[in-house]
Amino acid sequence: MQWLDALIQGILLGGMYAQYALGMTLMFGVMRIVNIAHGDLMILLALVGISGSAMFGVGPFLVIVLLIPIGALLGWALQKGILNRVIGGDELPSLIATFGLSVALQNLMQQIWSADSRSLPGGGLESASVNVAGVYIGVLPLLVLATAVGLTGGLDAMLRFSPFGRALRAASVDSEAAAITGVNPRAVYATATAAAVAILGIAAVFQSLRATVSPADGPAQLIYAFEAVIIGGMGSVWGSFLGAIVLGIAQAIGFRADPGWGILMGHLVFLLVLAGRPQGLMSRNR
Amino acid sequence: MRWMVELSCYLAVAQMWNLLAGYGGLVSVGQQAFIGIAGYALFILSIRFGINPFVGVALAVIAPALVAVPTYALLHRLDGPYFAIGTWVIAESFRLLTTNMDFVNGGAGLTLRAMTQFSAQERAIGMTSWSAALILITVGGSYWLLRSRYGLALAAMRDNAIAAESQGVNVKRLRFLIYVAAAAGTGLAGAVYYMAQLRISPVAAYSPKWASVCIFIVMVGGIGSIEGVLIGALIYFASDRLFGEYGTTYLIVLGIITLLVAIFARGGVWGVVSRYVGVSIFSTRRIFARGDA
Amino acid sequence: MSEAVPILSTHGLVAGYGDFQALFGVDFEIAPGEIVALIGANGAGKSTFLRAIMGLLPSRRDMIRFDGAPIGGAPTHSMVGRGITMVPEGRRLFTGMTVEDNLRVAMDCARSSARRSESAPWTIERLHELFPILADKRGTPVERLSGGQQQMVAIARALLGQPRLLLCDELSLGLAPAVIRDIYRSLPLISATGTAMILVEQDVGLAKTTSHRLYCMLEGRMTLTGRSENLDQAAITDAYFGSHHAVA
Repeated sequence: MQWLDALIQGILLGGMYAQYALGMTLMFGVMRIVNIAHGDLMILLALVGISGSAMFGVGPFLVIVLLIPIGALLGWALQKGILNRVIGGDELPSLIATFGLSVALQNLMQQIWSADSRSLPGGGLESASVNVAGVYIGVLPLLVLATAVGLTGGLDAMLRFSPFGRALRAASVDSEAAAITGVNPRAVYATATAAAVAILGIAAVFQSLRATVSPADGPAQLIYAFEAVIIGGMGSVWGSFLGAIVLGIAQAIGFRADPGWGILMGHLVFLLVLAGRPQGLMSRNR
Repeated sequence: MRWMVELSCYLAVAQMWNLLAGYGGLVSVGQQAFIGIAGYALFILSIRFGINPFVGVALAVIAPALVAVPTYALLHRLDGPYFAIGTWVIAESFRLLTTNMDFVNGGAGLTLRAMTQFSAQERAIGMTSWSAALILITVGGSYWLLRSRYGLALAAMRDNAIAAESQGVNVKRLRFLIYVAAAAGTGLAGAVYYMAQLRISPVAAYSPKWASVCIFIVMVGGIGSIEGVLIGALIYFASDRLFGEYGTTYLIVLGIITLLVAIFARGGVWGVVSRYVGVSIFSTRRIFARGDA
Repeated sequence: MSEAVPILSTHGLVAGYGDFQALFGVDFEIAPGEIVALIGANGAGKSTFLRAIMGLLPSRRDMIRFDGAPIGGAPTHSMVGRGITMVPEGRRLFTGMTVEDNLRVAMDCARSSARRSESAPWTIERLHELFPILADKRGTPVERLSGGQQQMVAIARALLGQPRLLLCDELSLGLAPAVIRDIYRSLPLISATGTAMILVEQDVGLAKTTSHRLYCMLEGRMTLTGRSENLDQAAITDAYFGSHHAVA
């Protein structure tokens, strides 16, 4: 029973990680752009949301509505201002540029919000639970998981079937060939990064509802998102969802065995997948 | 004393990172794994086995080199950015592992009491010699390596790994050797650094701060050249002394400088200087046109 | 030439890669509906010329004119909007995507550009008539097609951009003679819709028989031009290798 509970908690935790991982799948798995500041952007959005909620007295759902356009704007600016200047050829410049951005963002947030942990009041939502066949499951984690499923399905469908998704896939394969076919690769990338960071806005609200956030948390979130993408298989949207669930389960079971081992167990599963199935669980093999 | 150890350690880890990223094309943000492993190896050798720390430093280097072999076996499947974050996961894993080991006093860390048996003068001599040896081994060793028969292969690999491969350079093997050598060199710096600090803890030793030190020094100084690293280390060290007290503001500025260098001046300060002056003190850098073609 | 208004012309076009200059003042023109072949040895600058027209290499605005308007160095994707598309060397298809998705990328772009609101001539159906094999392979990832089939997809993709000028870079490269014949047989049908074509071609005989006019390039300069049927072999050889060429 204890382990079943850990399994369920793990799946629910995986739902949260799936939300972080989505933006990374889009940027990392599809566009092959590395953004070390991924986690820091999420924390930034969370802190903006928390402050905004306190200042204007708005509830969590309104905060989501506000953070999505803010995230989109941030992502668009990130692509236009930084990433579009460093893509093409080798990855080192984008890695270094976003690494610098990450250091700057972390310290900027610490200066504005101090190093304290904060969270978003959910008006009772965070403590509500339902009894499913004898196991109490939190309403909020369920909502997180359901949102993750919805977002993953939506992103997958967009990539597969929409003109934008086709243009993005084409530009990722060969941006020059896409340009001679009439696609404006930079505009497509800017839109995709805007979408990726907008999704982080949603994740930010859920993260600050179910736990606390502090300015130094970004790198850990980046690593979880990254592990989910690699475990699942690069370029596969549902793969990264699966990867996130696997990671969540590993951490929850590790944590149940010994509280110090939770995150480490996640890393170990990641390394195991890397050793045994480096292409990921659901690779599209492209 | 202290500043000398610090400067030589920064210089050494940065040069090792330069070798990895600048020549091997292996961008790591997890070199702190080897700092921590070697540092802990030194402390364990002294505390558990009573080995003189000044001797222990030399032995401690074996640990990161050994760990680097399976680590590379896992990571080499990841390319570019994936490799970078993979190294970070490894470093985090070692941090968590160390934190969970009672054997090394968990998260609280260890103290190097054995150092108290030496007089201040003996310590000064020992630290100075090791700092000098550290620079000699890492910077001098890289210089020697780049001037040796491997130098041309390394330079070819830096400029274009695929072309180098087709010219008969065994890129895979060379990368593996660089990775292990850099692990040992970085580990040596870590052991020397924590010998001077007298205390080690997982949070400090496995801190990603080490990665930012490497990246800042090499990128701002100029990647792919030894002069660049020297310049970068001096700039970093000086600004750390002068502006370190400004804390977060200082780090924000460092971050933004790194960002701007990556966008506008890929060659760093040395890249700009050598383009206009056209000199090279350590002639290891072979200039090739790096056009769009 | 008698053609009064060229659809595209270049005037002293200079272009290159970084410090390396590849084109040294190229003058060129092509009339609507015309097929012009561009021949020359490897490294003569033929591909560079096409890439410069397409905006893949920077050039001065007034060095390239399309419909009389200066377009040199404009963004590549905007060239498609104006009516210039390209079949690139090596085909450059979107691997990992199906034939249909490859073609739809071009259709999506053509649809979003306002110029083609009325009666676009090229549709998927017409392309299936031109290259029947593409209908059978529509769901196949492009990397599983043969070289000739891939070339057909590349041509179809360029045509779905509804070009008035089509640039073709080495259509015959690496293909079997029978496949080359099939592909070249489709060119007059394309030309019949009023689309002008620049064919970069290694095979001089093929270039001569397919084109109305012919240009020859050597070391970044045009060395010969004229109506294809009027050019004799000696003149072409001279222009191709340079007048001081060693005896082959």
